[in-house]
Amino acid sequence: MLPFSSWEIGPIFRAMTRNKVGAVLIALQVAVTMCIIVNSVHILMERTEQMARDSGIDEANSFYLSSTGFADDFNDQVVIQTDLDAIRALPGVIDAMQINAIPISGGGWSMGLQTQPGAEFEGVGTAVYMVDDHVLNTLDLELIAGEAFQPSDIRWRERSQRDWPAEIIITRALTENLFPEQSYQDTVGKTLYINDDEPVIIKGIIDKLQAPWVGWERLENAMLSPEQTLFSSSMYFVRTEPGRLDELMPAVEQMLADSNKGRVVRGLRSMQETRERTYRRDQAMIKILTTVMITLTLVTALGIVGLASFNVNRRRKQIGTRRALGASQASVLRYFMLENFLISSIGVILGAVLTVGLNIYLVQSLGLTKLHWWLIPVGMLTLWLVGQLAVLGPARRATATSPAIATRTV
Amino acid sequence: MLNMQNVTKIFRTDLVETRALSDFNLHVKEGEFVTVTGPSGSGKTTFLNIAGLLESFDDGVYDLDGQNVRHLNDTQRSRLRNEKIGFIFQSFNLIPDLDLFDNVDVPLRYRGFNSSERKRRIERCLELVGLANRMKHLPAQLSGGQQQRVAIARALAGEPRFLLADEPTGNLDSKMAHSVMQLLKDINDEGTTIVMVTHDPSLAREAKRNIFVKDGKVSDVTHITASTPEQVASISASGACHV
Repeated sequence: MLPFSSWEIGPIFRAMTRNKVGAVLIALQVAVTMCIIVNSVHILMERTEQMARDSGIDEANSFYLSSTGFADDFNDQVVIQTDLDAIRALPGVIDAMQINAIPISGGGWSMGLQTQPGAEFEGVGTAVYMVDDHVLNTLDLELIAGEAFQPSDIRWRERSQRDWPAEIIITRALTENLFPEQSYQDTVGKTLYINDDEPVIIKGIIDKLQAPWVGWERLENAMLSPEQTLFSSSMYFVRTEPGRLDELMPAVEQMLADSNKGRVVRGLRSMQETRERTYRRDQAMIKILTTVMITLTLVTALGIVGLASFNVNRRRKQIGTRRALGASQASVLRYFMLENFLISSIGVILGAVLTVGLNIYLVQSLGLTKLHWWLIPVGMLTLWLVGQLAVLGPARRATATSPAIATRTV
Repeated sequence: MLNMQNVTKIFRTDLVETRALSDFNLHVKEGEFVTVTGPSGSGKTTFLNIAGLLESFDDGVYDLDGQNVRHLNDTQRSRLRNEKIGFIFQSFNLIPDLDLFDNVDVPLRYRGFNSSERKRRIERCLELVGLANRMKHLPAQLSGGQQQRVAIARALAGEPRFLLADEPTGNLDSKMAHSVMQLLKDINDEGTTIVMVTHDPSLAREAKRNIFVKDGKVSDVTHITASTPEQVASISASGACHV
C-alpha cells in the first residue's frame, strides 16, 4: 500500500482542470441528482410520517355506513335507536354508535373554541364529532382525565339547532392549544366558549383523535359533543372484534336494509379503505418520486460509466505507459476511483448548496418543512458510493490494459 | 545485469501460432550500451517488451539483476519495472494533460517517495536534460526533441540501473536525434546500462555493442570498435549470440 502522499490527487485534479468539459458535466449531473434526490427523500419522509400518524381509533376493526330514510312514516329517532341496538347485539360487534363525521375521511364539521367569551377573542379551531355515550368503546379512545359521557348526557340535535350541550370531551392536543401554560389534567372542569360566548365545560380529556382533514395543521384538535343527530342521513360507526370485519360489514349492511324498507343503506366502507383513499395522492406521489429518484440515480450512474469508459478507451496508451513506469493494477484502479471521487466530490459539494437552496424555495413557496440536516451528508455519501460503484467496471477494465501497449506506435 | 537463455515467446490466435522469439539468448553486462537492430517483424519489440517486463514469455530463463523474473506476479513485475528499469519510448508517451513536473513525477509516486524527495529528483532530472525552466509547461508546448528529453528525465528520475529505449530518436530530426543520443551516451558513461532498439545503423554504431535480431533470434553480435559508418557496415554476420 502506497503512502497517501503518493496518491495522485494533485495530478488528477490538475489534469481535470485542463480537460474539464466531461468532468464538469458529470459533476453538475451529480449535483442536480443529489439536490433532487435529497429533497425528494425529505418529501417522502414527511409524507410517510404523515401517513403513519395514529388517528387514535381502532382502524383495523372498524367500518361505517349511512342510512337515509325516504318513506313518509320514517322516524329517524326510532330507527337510529333500533338500528344501534340491533348492531350492538350482533355477535362479533364490540360496539357501535351514530356519528356525524368520520376521522381522516376528508369531510366533517369544525368550530372555534375560546377560553374567554367575546367576538374580539380568537378561537382555536377544532373538529366536532357528535357522538353518544358509546364513543370511547366504539372508537377505542383512551380517556386520560375527567369523565366519560353518561346516557343522560346525550341529547338529540335537529339540523337547524344552534345551541350546544353543556359538557364536552376534548383531545389532549386541543386542551394544550387552549391552555398552553397548564397541564391537561388541570383543565378538566374549565369553561370554554363556543359561538363566541356560549359556555361549554370540559368534562373529560382523551389522549388522541384525529380530525377528518389530514392536511390540517391542527389535525389532533377534536371535541366530542354528546348528541345524536336527526339529520336527513345517519352515519353508523361499528367496531368489531379482531378478524370479524370482513364478515360483519356485509352482514350489518344487509341487516339494516332488511329491517326497514323505507330507507337506503349505502356508503359501506372500512376505516382501512378510508385511510387508503385519503392518502392515495400521497401514495402516488411517493411512487412517482421514488421512480424519479431511481431513474435519476441510474442516469447519473450511467453518465459516470460512460465518461469513465470513454476515458479508459481514450487513455489506453497512457494507462499502458503508466503500467510500464511501474503502476500496478491496483494503482490503475485507484487512479480511476480517485478521479471519480474528485468529480463526485465537486458534484456533491455543489449539490449540497443546491439542495439547501431548493429546500429554502420549497419551504417558502410550498410550505414544506425544513430539511433534516443529516440528509445532506447521507445524500453526499450515497452519491459518492453510486459514483464509486459506477466507475468500478470501467476501472477494472483499465487494470487489464497490458503495459506492452506503451511500446506500440499505433 | 540482463541474462536471457533460450527465451521463447509465441503469440497465439485461434488459427495461427507465431514464434516472435525463439531460443533467444543474450547477456548484457552492467554498464553496457547495447543497441538492438533488425528488420521489421524480427522480434526487436517483443524482446524489448520481455526485457522490460511488459510481457511474459513462454519458455526459457530471464534473470534481471540476478533475479529470475519468470514467475513473478503482476505486482512484483510492476515493482521491479518501477525500481530497476527506465523506459524511453519512440512516441515519448508523455501524458498530455500533465505538465513536465507531473510527468516526471509519475514513476516516483509509484515508488512511494515522499513529496520533498520527489521534488528534489524531478528538479535534478529536468535540470540534467536542460528543461528545468519549463517545469510548468505542457508537453504540447515543447518540440519533439524536448519532449523526448522530458521522457528521458522521467526514465532517470527513479535512478534505474537499466534503461530500455525503443527507437528513442525515431520521431526526431537528425539534429535532435544526435542531441538525444549524446544525452544517452552521457547517461551510460555515468554507469547506467542501456539497451536501445533502433533502425538507424548510424545510431547503432554509437553503442558499445550491437545485437542483430532476425526471425526471433540473435543472429549477430558486433562489438563496436570502429568509428565510421563504413566500418560498422563491414562487420559481417557470425551467428554468435553470447558475449
